Amino acid sequence: MKIKVASVYVDDQDKALRFYTEVLGFAKKADFSQGPFRWLTVASPEEPDGTELQLALNDNPAAKAYQQAMFQQGQPAAMLFTDDVKGDYERIKGRGAEFTMPPTDVTGSTIAVLNDSCGNRIQLTQLARRKTR
Amino acid sequence: MTAREQYTPGPASVAQVRKDGEKWTLILVRELHHPPAKVWQALTDPAQLREWAPFDADGSLGTVGTRVKLTTVGAPTPHVTETTVTRADAPKALEYNWGGFDMRWQLEAIGGGTRLTLWTNIDRRFISMGAAGWHVCFDVLDHLLSGTPLGRIVGPEAMKFAGWQRLHAEYAKQFGVETPRG
Repeated sequence: MKIKVASVYVDDQDKALRFYTEVLGFAKKADFSQGPFRWLTVASPEEPDGTELQLALNDNPAAKAYQQAMFQQGQPAAMLFTDDVKGDYERIKGRGAEFTMPPTDVTGSTIAVLNDSCGNRIQLTQLARRKTR
Repeated sequence: MTAREQYTPGPASVAQVRKDGEKWTLILVRELHHPPAKVWQALTDPAQLREWAPFDADGSLGTVGTRVKLTTVGAPTPHVTETTVTRADAPKALEYNWGGFDMRWQLEAIGGGTRLTLWTNIDRRFISMGAAGWHVCFDVLDHLLSGTPLGRIVGPEAMKFAGWQRLHAEYAKQFGVETPRG
């Protein structure tokens, strides 16, 4: 067994695809549909065959409720790892994304939290031991 | 060989695509040699839907105001959505929503049969696939109504049949769109 896919609920898959590719810099990996269901994933260009992030439509009441509650509680829906959180913060902010937390030192890491404009907070994490600058 | 193994979809029918900006509506017509009342049952009864439709329903779609859970068959992860039947004029007009797709059915009596029309909005990238998928569903529906059921053929099952790629390509050509993967 492998961990190959993580999922976030989004309120609009086309908007999410634009945000996760054009703003965050990921690449579209899979995009196919069965009836109204659309399986849409992105992957990191640094790791094209690595873990994919599924952009799942929040088209059921449980998904909507979960997503909204997590957002209101300030809880990230997903966590992305980087070797340069400050660089990514500047780059992503420069492309128009809103950060709810700028890069902040915490135990063992530096984190930042952004709004993906599709109903989620997404955390960027740079582990202290992986800091290169 | 069983009837199912022998099944091959015929050529693409004339279908319409109505484009309203990003929202595209697929309009499909199928003439069936069965009266509207019988077709209506197949469109609304969960047991019959399970024999031909690309979704399962946990209740009848035949009563306006009813809330019904629809489960997409063949989705790569379980996909359950809820709909409210917004129109159910038996045996003429039926409207509900399938996971964001508006579904509008019209049944017109012609001779002893029915002209069945479906209006459904499908993501425009997958509209030719949707047309081919419904084409196969209608073939299976016709067999069901004729008492020679083939068993449901949807999703990846449909793509295994000889003729699927051709049918899909014919609809793509008819609509002037590129064939997406699959």
